[in-house]
Amino acid sequence: MNPLTLEGVEFHYPATEAPALRDVSLAVAAGEIVALVGKVGAGASTLLLVAADLAPRITGGRLTGTVRRRARSGIVLPTPWTQLSGMAFTVWDEVAFGPANLGWPGREIARHVERALERLEIAALAERDPVTLSGGEVQRVILAGILAMDPDVVLLDEPTAELDPAGARALWRLVRVLAGEGKAIVVATSDLDAVPAVADRVAWLEQGAVRAMGAPDLLAEEATCEAGLGTTVAGVWRAAGLAAPYPLTVADAIQRWR
Amino acid sequence: MPVRLLALIPVAVAISLALSAAVEAVALPLFLDTTGTILATALAGPSVGVAVGVLTSAVNTLRNPTFWPFVVIQIIVALYAGLAARAGLFRGLRTAVPAGLGLGVIASLTSTPISYFLFGCTTTGGIALTTALGRALGLPPLGACFFGSFVSDFGDKAVTFALVTSVLHALPRRTAARFPLALRAIGAA
Amino acid sequence: MRTRHPFTLLTLAAALPTLAWLLPAPAGALGTAAVAFGLATAAGVRRVLVPAVVTAAPFWLFLFVLHDLPTTLAIGLRITTMVAGFVWLAAVLAPDRLVEAMVARGWSVTVAYVFAATLSAVPLFRARARRIVEAQRCRGLSPRGSVAKRLRALRALALPLLLSALHEVDERALALETRGLRSGARRTPLAPPPDPALERAARWALLLVCIAALVGRLV
Repeated sequence: MNPLTLEGVEFHYPATEAPALRDVSLAVAAGEIVALVGKVGAGASTLLLVAADLAPRITGGRLTGTVRRRARSGIVLPTPWTQLSGMAFTVWDEVAFGPANLGWPGREIARHVERALERLEIAALAERDPVTLSGGEVQRVILAGILAMDPDVVLLDEPTAELDPAGARALWRLVRVLAGEGKAIVVATSDLDAVPAVADRVAWLEQGAVRAMGAPDLLAEEATCEAGLGTTVAGVWRAAGLAAPYPLTVADAIQRWR
Repeated sequence: MPVRLLALIPVAVAISLALSAAVEAVALPLFLDTTGTILATALAGPSVGVAVGVLTSAVNTLRNPTFWPFVVIQIIVALYAGLAARAGLFRGLRTAVPAGLGLGVIASLTSTPISYFLFGCTTTGGIALTTALGRALGLPPLGACFFGSFVSDFGDKAVTFALVTSVLHALPRRTAARFPLALRAIGAA
Repeated sequence: MRTRHPFTLLTLAAALPTLAWLLPAPAGALGTAAVAFGLATAAGVRRVLVPAVVTAAPFWLFLFVLHDLPTTLAIGLRITTMVAGFVWLAAVLAPDRLVEAMVARGWSVTVAYVFAATLSAVPLFRARARRIVEAQRCRGLSPRGSVAKRLRALRALALPLLLSALHEVDERALALETRGLRSGARRTPLAPPPDPALERAARWALLLVCIAALVGRLV
């Protein structure tokens, strides 16, 4: 059974007429990476909240349809600062916050925290006070905190928003490593150029519904490019008036030129 | 306690203490240190309000230790605000401001004995000054002390109630609907 | 002193003012004030003792203006004990140790969270308020003008702060929930401070002394 399955999910936020999600169905297998793309307000963040069992439980609102979770999930929200626990005065304690709340024994916590710090390349920050960190550093600390809880489903909402290009590349590498370990990963991102190399599948959300779902080639199709959701290379190719099908990546473009 | 209320408490305390920057900028003799308490009560009920009030006093005590006994006032404020919210008194300034004035009277009546018997009315420079003024006007010591705290409390609580009313009405419906009692406080439930 | 268990430090800081008010003035208050000053000196003359003296000084001035000498002495010494005790406490008590002590003792994780998160949130929101004030100053906010004008300005300053704070409550709730913070759950203490039997006995002894003083005062 898949770690995460949504079937026919419709979700309304409290006191809101229009649904935030309409008839969304998505099944994510272990080791699979699904990218959610769409304009702002299309429902990607809401979908992640539903997948994380935070909507409607914490957000309020009503949900119809089925959500099946076989395993524990962890979600990293887009604004890093508000996710700091407020209860930790060092980065180490901040990353250990989740595992400690789960009541794990001390040694296991230490093992998971050290591993998470290494993976996010922030071991050097372990003794720093989280409030003194930069936005990118905080984002990595939060992600480390979620990974330290060893979730089977990892949900990421704009994980590279605060990172510089090198940091973003490192993060996408990490995402592939996590999938390789069998975790199911759903990531909402506007970093479209990174998607072909990272994601196994792409879901295009529009006004709360899944408009299209398929391989990353989706981002080189006419419809997505017209909506402004194509990769840069595809967009440039199209804007130059060159013939479809548009290339997805730089490598594809070079191939076409030859 | 649901996690949202747990997240509300520290934020409400921080609000109460952060507003002093705003008050200084407009040079008005207000404290607004019960704003978080009243807002939290209107959104989530008096027990949350009491928690916010106690914590606000505790943090205030770190700066001026003589504030600690006045935690009683914060608790009374939370209870009063709870009744006001239940009666929907935050539905407009016309009902909120008189409610605030009423609280101002109660607050100064309660804080006077504490200030007088424990600290001889010297908790802050302002109170001491107005007490001296009251004495100069011929008031008895306890009366002068009441005069000192009344002058600041009266306006302070009315402005706080007005501010909380504005905030409650400015909240987007989606956010307000997430707090159990917010809609009742503004008379919209 | 810094390595003592946080509860011991708290008990001491609470007992001193309590005794200052319960014991007969001015001798009792003088004794507690002396103890408080002793602690403050041990914690560092420049860091603790001087701020304690500076904070307590204005009260003596106001008291002198408003009251006769015996009252001034009595209340002054009591306030001094309280002030010195709290300034000392703020200097020697590390918030993370206190939080760990609460968790180790089995107190509800929600209580520990609320304490710790409040301490972190206060400077954050103060800074935000100052930024809003600065931004409004650039737009011509000034402390002059009629009371009504200034009240409107206050509203313009306060409303953004309060609204953004409430929005943030939502986000914080989501983050806390996903990281497992639950009422009634048993949290693993990460670095519990040691609590020797001697210190626990000392805390009980202090409590008994306070009760005895209370009884003595009432009888």
